[in-house]
Amino acid sequence: MQYHPRPTPGSARPWAFPAPERGSLPNGLTVLRCHRPGQQVVAVEIFIDAPLDAEPEGLDGVATIMSRALSEGTDKQSAEEFAAELERCGATLDAHADHPGVRVSLEVPASRLAKALGLVAEALRAPAFADSEIERLVRNRLDEIPHEQANPARRAAKQLSKELFPATARMSRPRLGTEKTIERIDTAAVRAFYDAHIRPSAATVVVVGDLTGIDLDALLAETLGDWSGNTVEPRPAPPITADDTGRVIIVDRPGAVQTQLLIGRIGADRHDSVWPAQVLGTYCLGGTLTSRLDRVLREEKGYTYGVRAFAQVLRSSAADSASGATGAAMLAISGSVDTESTGPALDDLWKVLRTLAAEGLTDSERETAVQNLVGVAPLKFETAASVASTLADQVEQHLPDDYQATLYARLAETGTVEATAAAVNAFPVDRLVTVLVGDASRIAEPVRALGIGEVSVVTG
Amino acid sequence: MPMGHTATAQAGSGGLTATEHRLANGLRVVLSEDHLTPVAAVCLWYDVGSRHEVKGRTGLAHLFEHLMFQGSGQVKGNGHFELVQGAGGSLNGTTSFERTNYFETMPTHQLELALWLEADRMGSLLAALDEESMENQRDVVKNERRQRYDNVPYGTAFERLTALAYPEGHPYHHTPIGSMADLDAATLEDARTFFRTYYAPNNAVLSVVGDIDPEQTLAWIEKYFGSIPSHDGKQPPRDGSLPPVMGGQLREEVREEVPARALMAAYRLPHDGTRECDAADLALTVLGGGESSRLHNRLVRRDRTAVAAGFGLLRLAGAPSLGWLDVKTSGGVEVAEIEAAVDEELARFAEEGPTPEEMERAQAQLEREWLDRLGTVSGRADELCRYAVLFGDPQLALTAVNRVLDVTAEEVKAAAQAQLRPDNRAVLVYEPVESAEEADTDTDAHEGADQ
Repeated sequence: MQYHPRPTPGSARPWAFPAPERGSLPNGLTVLRCHRPGQQVVAVEIFIDAPLDAEPEGLDGVATIMSRALSEGTDKQSAEEFAAELERCGATLDAHADHPGVRVSLEVPASRLAKALGLVAEALRAPAFADSEIERLVRNRLDEIPHEQANPARRAAKQLSKELFPATARMSRPRLGTEKTIERIDTAAVRAFYDAHIRPSAATVVVVGDLTGIDLDALLAETLGDWSGNTVEPRPAPPITADDTGRVIIVDRPGAVQTQLLIGRIGADRHDSVWPAQVLGTYCLGGTLTSRLDRVLREEKGYTYGVRAFAQVLRSSAADSASGATGAAMLAISGSVDTESTGPALDDLWKVLRTLAAEGLTDSERETAVQNLVGVAPLKFETAASVASTLADQVEQHLPDDYQATLYARLAETGTVEATAAAVNAFPVDRLVTVLVGDASRIAEPVRALGIGEVSVVTG
Repeated sequence: MPMGHTATAQAGSGGLTATEHRLANGLRVVLSEDHLTPVAAVCLWYDVGSRHEVKGRTGLAHLFEHLMFQGSGQVKGNGHFELVQGAGGSLNGTTSFERTNYFETMPTHQLELALWLEADRMGSLLAALDEESMENQRDVVKNERRQRYDNVPYGTAFERLTALAYPEGHPYHHTPIGSMADLDAATLEDARTFFRTYYAPNNAVLSVVGDIDPEQTLAWIEKYFGSIPSHDGKQPPRDGSLPPVMGGQLREEVREEVPARALMAAYRLPHDGTRECDAADLALTVLGGGESSRLHNRLVRRDRTAVAAGFGLLRLAGAPSLGWLDVKTSGGVEVAEIEAAVDEELARFAEEGPTPEEMERAQAQLEREWLDRLGTVSGRADELCRYAVLFGDPQLALTAVNRVLDVTAEEVKAAAQAQLRPDNRAVLVYEPVESAEEADTDTDAHEGADQ
């Protein structure tokens, strides 16, 4: 073939993260909307300020069962009828509970938005919570637990939360509850949680998609506008604390061919000015196949299919909120390596972290990371669902509506020194809790020899 | 394959157009304009997948796909990844039974770079391919196999069912990931031969979709790909056709450490690209797609014998497609009870056919899935390549949804009668066991093991 020199880029067409229009309904429901031409599948995200912290003692999982029960029948139709009507719209509906609150996500072709939104409003306004459906959801949830337990990544995440947070904190326990707490959940408990927390004044709906020809105000008034409820003061969020004393916990899986790694602690959330630098630094460390971790662990040594470093906000509140700024993100490195390579892989991983602390990032690494993080934005937000989900995250984390839009400018302004400092502070070698799900008889000794913290073994 | 995410999304199939071109060396090109967002997707399908592999070299097509990211004539090491990501793009490659695809989604002004990179490796991969990357990526792929199949509960179900559903010696008998032994056996020379045989412009389709100037795009394609010589070393894949029904139930029971009993099955269904395949898709959706399906209502809602129950469709063009049943049992329920209920529901459905409401729901679900797939530039680029490679006509991608909506209830009923039968399936049953080691440690199971 005839070689040609590598082409140089043309000039970029400007793109900005869409600015939503903010409003509210007379019932107190906050509305964010965003018209995205061409996006024929409309995405609707509803965030309700009903945090897991609000679950009564001993009833972990009641928010999850309640969320799932929302789509299991209303005052007008049975669970089967409701599911059938939704699917007749070509819609998908998901409702789940997490630390910040309950999220209900609808995706539906624009032509059937009116009908689907009517169904969602009915579910929020008048869920049936029939005894037999609640019993079924409880049993179903109990059946799911052994499957999660058997999944190495899920098992590692559960162990890390238990290690990091004090036993009294809701965050130390599984989001979806344990066998012990799920068994105790009944209709009365679900109804009580609903009555206490699910109300329009504590909720925000985000609607994104091609809204051409849709009278959204009229549509919202007819559907979610019918939902009523009193106003309550938002619940103060307790501060998040974590014990990140460097240590290793092996969850024993005799015979496992791989070891699942999850190495983490907590750190800054989006309210902290270090966030853009932390995003950049974390990307350089382990955001992709060409980041520092995979460069060694995957592309040089072949120990893994891929290891990633990331920051995931657990719960976040603004300085001017009822409880002040009490948010935090989980900062973690995760992946899996073959059993034999567990010791050597961790050794290399720590070397990568030490080298980063000693020598810092290079300007070209920082430059590539900025180019990627900023450049992929138009790709990442091509669909209505991705825009809606980010807007709802902003609401959930008490961030201004233009947060994502301004983040790109801040990333571009962040220098190599700041990114290095943020990455090193995020992943200090002696303040990392390491969870390994793998064969203890084969990995415990090599891991002890590394001296990265006390090693203990648990089963189950 | 390098890790990454493929976007799913939305937008209309209505009003989309595509143009087709062919270079002198045989490279087929499909272009589709869409200026809503300043991005462009490049997708390249090579007409080679695991069905082209020979005995003793399973997994070679996929391992080779990894080698395509290890540098080429003018691109050093991981340069392909670095350059695309550094330009604000995203990228990946995947391997299936029937094809290997590579894709980059770029900000519009970086489109030319993606074309240059794809051309460089199509034209000059062997200039960079060496023993070091072969050994490294062999280890990476073995870890991919462990992570995705060997170290997860039920992880090898797909491989086992495929091996049951397609007889020994059939090109689809083994899956793209391949066996550990064959991955170990593959040599650098195998990889070189594989490239020379299959990675030719006349064995590929390139699509570019999005915010593009078609004339300029075609000129770039001609410039970068035009001088790559075509060649005809490729043998046609072995014949994948089989009788329409299996003619008897095949069965395997696995005793493994899994969290619950499971009933899985693969039904032999019509080839992709036929009206009968779309009818079967609708039948599976009515029976096992979503939360209002017959199996979900029966097993999860009413009998409460299952945690989850559903059907999926693996569409295949070069062999019969597979209808994929997956039921995980609840508590101590026996598989026999589930199986009897499934058979009863399938028999009833074959007898009655779908109700008008069920047809409406199934068609609405499949329509939304198509809107999602065609709604992003990368999804559209992939579908255009799919129809060009497998069926010779990319335009079929833009009308696929209409064909699904055109199927009648009678046809759906006929599809169920013909093929959703016990004598036309391979069954895989999981029976949990406690491992010996696990039994040994039962004594201290309470220690630190809060469930």
